[in-house]
Amino acid sequence: MRLVEIHDLCRSYGAITAVNNFSLTAERATIVALVGPDGAGKTTLFRAACGLLGFETGSITIAGFDVKTQFNHIKPLLGYMPQNFSLYPDLSVEENLSFYAGLFGLNRTDFNQKKKYLYDFSNLGQFADRRAEALSGGMKQKLALCCNLIHDPQVLILDEPTTGVDPLSRRQFWDILKKLRHDGSTIIVSTPYMDEVALADKSVFIFNGKNMAEGTPDKLTALFNGRVYRLDMVPDINQIESINALRGISARRFGSSMRLYIKPEREIADYRAAFSQFGFSENDLREIRPELEDTFIQLMEQA
Amino acid sequence: MIQTIIALIIKEFRQVRRDPIMLRLLFIMPLVQLLLLGYVVSTDVKLIDTAVYDFDNSRLSREYVRSLTAGEYFVASKDDLPLLNADLAFRQNRRNAVIVIPDDFSEKLENFEKVKIGMLLDGSNANTASISLGYAGLITAQFNQRVLGLNMPIQLRQKNLFNPEAESVYFMVPGIVAVLLTMITVMLSAMGIVRERERGTLEQLMVTPISTIGLILGKIIPFAIIGFVEMSIALAVGILWFDIPFAGSWGLLYFLSFIFLFTTLGVGMFISTATRTQQQAMFFAWFFTIYALLTSGFFIPIANMPHIIQLLTYLNPMRYYMTIVRGIMMKGSSIDILHKEVLAMVIFGLVVFTFSALRFSKRVK
Repeated sequence: MRLVEIHDLCRSYGAITAVNNFSLTAERATIVALVGPDGAGKTTLFRAACGLLGFETGSITIAGFDVKTQFNHIKPLLGYMPQNFSLYPDLSVEENLSFYAGLFGLNRTDFNQKKKYLYDFSNLGQFADRRAEALSGGMKQKLALCCNLIHDPQVLILDEPTTGVDPLSRRQFWDILKKLRHDGSTIIVSTPYMDEVALADKSVFIFNGKNMAEGTPDKLTALFNGRVYRLDMVPDINQIESINALRGISARRFGSSMRLYIKPEREIADYRAAFSQFGFSENDLREIRPELEDTFIQLMEQA
Repeated sequence: MIQTIIALIIKEFRQVRRDPIMLRLLFIMPLVQLLLLGYVVSTDVKLIDTAVYDFDNSRLSREYVRSLTAGEYFVASKDDLPLLNADLAFRQNRRNAVIVIPDDFSEKLENFEKVKIGMLLDGSNANTASISLGYAGLITAQFNQRVLGLNMPIQLRQKNLFNPEAESVYFMVPGIVAVLLTMITVMLSAMGIVRERERGTLEQLMVTPISTIGLILGKIIPFAIIGFVEMSIALAVGILWFDIPFAGSWGLLYFLSFIFLFTTLGVGMFISTATRTQQQAMFFAWFFTIYALLTSGFFIPIANMPHIIQLLTYLNPMRYYMTIVRGIMMKGSSIDILHKEVLAMVIFGLVVFTFSALRFSKRVK
């Protein structure tokens, strides 16, 4: 069953089109990862899906209800975690939870039961009396998630919940997401981390407000066209620019190494002369298997 | 609905309790205002520093100066500057008045001729100057009477009803009640809502099943309660410490204050829709409070204002509430007497509150 359906959504801010004919579906009990560079339109899309932002054309339905006309039916089924921490920093962990329980109409007994469950899997119990502002980044995000789980939502929309969170907390956060999926929740999550994209059931690559590609992580990786080479040297910007000026080849810096992308119709040998000019030879290059990120870069360059 | 409102109210009080500075401010503010305005601000002018230039220096002139300084109004001191430079003492803030008695003072008086006494006043404080002038005129008239040995047939016997001693505290405390209630409720409600927007929590709330009405009520009820607590503190201190009388009905005062709150909370809500940061909201609330204060008749009698400003005071809801609080506390006014003010307040409350609530719900939609 499709819990979330977005069809041909358009939303612009003046002359800038933030979301452009975007479509997306999410099946029950799946995790959909939305990935794309800053400014790709992820937050606009999420805010529109949560009824916080109008849109010009297209439609969004959640659990069969239309966001524009039946949002009141959606509210009890939806949990939304915005990108910025938006709980009450001056209230304690437990006070934040009890506030949300009150908003969703939980009685005392239900709340205590729910609280125990949430504390169990989030490890927040030991910080119950601590003010939210005094929590670490990862704990804050867990608390924000817990506040959104208090009413057992069927659909969770999470806007970059793990950005800026340490790797261990990120993994714990994703363990929670997988558990929620197992319990039947549908989760749409945006993330800048490729390793997290690989954990999702389906990934959607968004760029300039468009759905560039979607599918399982493996399927997306297989979309790469051409070959990837890795060069273990710290490139300078001039080198990259000079390589990009050549036809059929492009270069990108990856931390302290460089990747060269060669179009399928080209051979690495075509560039032998150019390489020697930049101070390395064909032998320094190592062909590697394209990764998800390489696909995204290629899609972005083609756009 | 009720449960979500209660959840919001509990949350709001927890936040106030968490903020020790705010908490202290809330309790100290009414006390400081009362003590300041109760003790320090007094419209009576006393102990006017007066330089006396007595060029006559006769028995009569000295007697005149004595009668001038007999009360607690004028304090005479000897001239220490040439008369032509007398205004220097004003510039140095050492004197409030100068009295000049000409050298032919007693001579002319004894011949029943007219004589002129000069009085210079520091007009930079127009209030003190005009009150001083009034005193001096009164004292001079009495002195005339005594010199002439006449028994004046018409005598004015005056009595201040409701406040026989003309204690300014008696009418300042009810004024402070009105000021506090306005200031607290406008500022807190405006900032409380803007803070949620600034932090992004308002957006988070919009995704929960809370209704707009529920959100509005949950956000303003706590501030209404705080307003009532502040008001009660001010009244308690006024009655227990300053011994001010309370002539009217407590129930009526609280009921009409409740009606007044619709206006102030409505204004607060309006400010929250017109500003984006707490700082902007605070300046806006401050601006409104000052306008309301100045045109409410708290310090400045409305009857003394130019006609056009008087018209402007009708647009100030605090003006009506000020009349109501003073009326109930000092004169024991009932609702039949105050019905015009009550009607104005009800209209203000309905219009401002409805307008702001609509604007607010449009903003959060």
